[in-house]
Amino acid sequence: MILDITIVEKVIWSGIAALGFGILFNIPRRVILPVFLLGGIAGFLKFFALTNGSGVVLASLFAASFVGFASIPYARQKQTSPFLLSIPSVIPMIPGYFGYKMLLGITQIAVLGESQNEVETMLSITHNGLNMIFILISLSVGVSLPWLIFKDKALKVIRLKKKGDLV
Amino acid sequence: MQENELMSERKADTLLKICSLLMTSGANTSRIFVHLKRFSDLIKVDAQVFIDHKAFIITLLDNETQQKTTQIRRLPGHGINFAVLSALSRAGLKAKTENWTFEQIDAEVDRIAGLKHYPRIVILIAVSFSGAGFCNLFGGDIVNMLIAFFATMGGLFVRQEAVKRKFNPYVSVLFGAFVAASLASSTSVLLNHTDIHLAIATSVLFLIPGVPLINSVTDILDGYIITGSVRFINGFVFVLAIALALFMVMYLFSIQNL
Repeated sequence: MILDITIVEKVIWSGIAALGFGILFNIPRRVILPVFLLGGIAGFLKFFALTNGSGVVLASLFAASFVGFASIPYARQKQTSPFLLSIPSVIPMIPGYFGYKMLLGITQIAVLGESQNEVETMLSITHNGLNMIFILISLSVGVSLPWLIFKDKALKVIRLKKKGDLV
Repeated sequence: MQENELMSERKADTLLKICSLLMTSGANTSRIFVHLKRFSDLIKVDAQVFIDHKAFIITLLDNETQQKTTQIRRLPGHGINFAVLSALSRAGLKAKTENWTFEQIDAEVDRIAGLKHYPRIVILIAVSFSGAGFCNLFGGDIVNMLIAFFATMGGLFVRQEAVKRKFNPYVSVLFGAFVAASLASSTSVLLNHTDIHLAIATSVLFLIPGVPLINSVTDILDGYIITGSVRFINGFVFVLAIALALFMVMYLFSIQNL
């Protein structure tokens, strides 16, 4: 693996993308840095998996399950719920691009009527739609993987250290 | 007797307030049940809830007085707010360790309901940076990123204005996506920049309903099939609105393929 400048750039920009969503969702101030870091690492892992020949679905599953596991100790340290860290970190990987590509294909067929490459359009609709559904499933499963495997036993989540300082 | 009745009405009201805050702020269904169990244990009632996207029904049995109450509450519009989720889970734990009374819990829930968002300008800038980030991840150069930055900013601004003027949420997203995509395509044309598709495709990504879509799958995994399906359809209609806006922009600017 070559750690060149493009990878570092991608990591930083994925972190910023995750953070932007975090701010939009009004995350508490003390989890800003964790969301940035987890988002960056998730972007790196996805990029790493993609460059090593895995498909986009498996790459998303890989990155999201890392985020799911990493968010538990990190959330305990920051005294918050793990979902607060993991959801904004995986939101940039949500397959919105595939979603509206699929719907654009559908509108092309429904609104514009017949054209020569209808078969190609149908294929791209199927391809994008399946990608969207499966990436979505892998992200959700990845994030909740610790709960699916360990149930609640090992995951007593928050322990309050300081008094006051709610939120 | 009258007093007991009044007290359990108030307890039901507070529990419904908690559920409604969780639902509208973007918690998934199993989290709502976890919080409900925690709070209902604290105020010594046995609560049964029916959860829907737009309303809650609660029936509770007061363990101290054996008083039974049923209440229904309609939910306001959904707006994701993770600070509320965080504050509620901490309030639950704190109340448990410090043995809060019902009055304290009620006051804390009212305080949490009034938690503020970040200032608008901060949200605008942060989300625009994330639009630029998406553009970079999809392989855009610096000009594309700048276009995506300003297009995202314009789109988000329009969407916020539409939400403030109480437009239908799907229509607000449609407006936002239309403005973002037309800003992106017109600036790309003006700057004579070739990669017009990239800027358009990434400038609308901030509108993608990530939280409803993720929650829908986790709900279905947890066995709450109906709420899961509702969330999925809700998210899907948002994506449909984005696609419709993109379709209009592509038609106007006669762009062939995205």
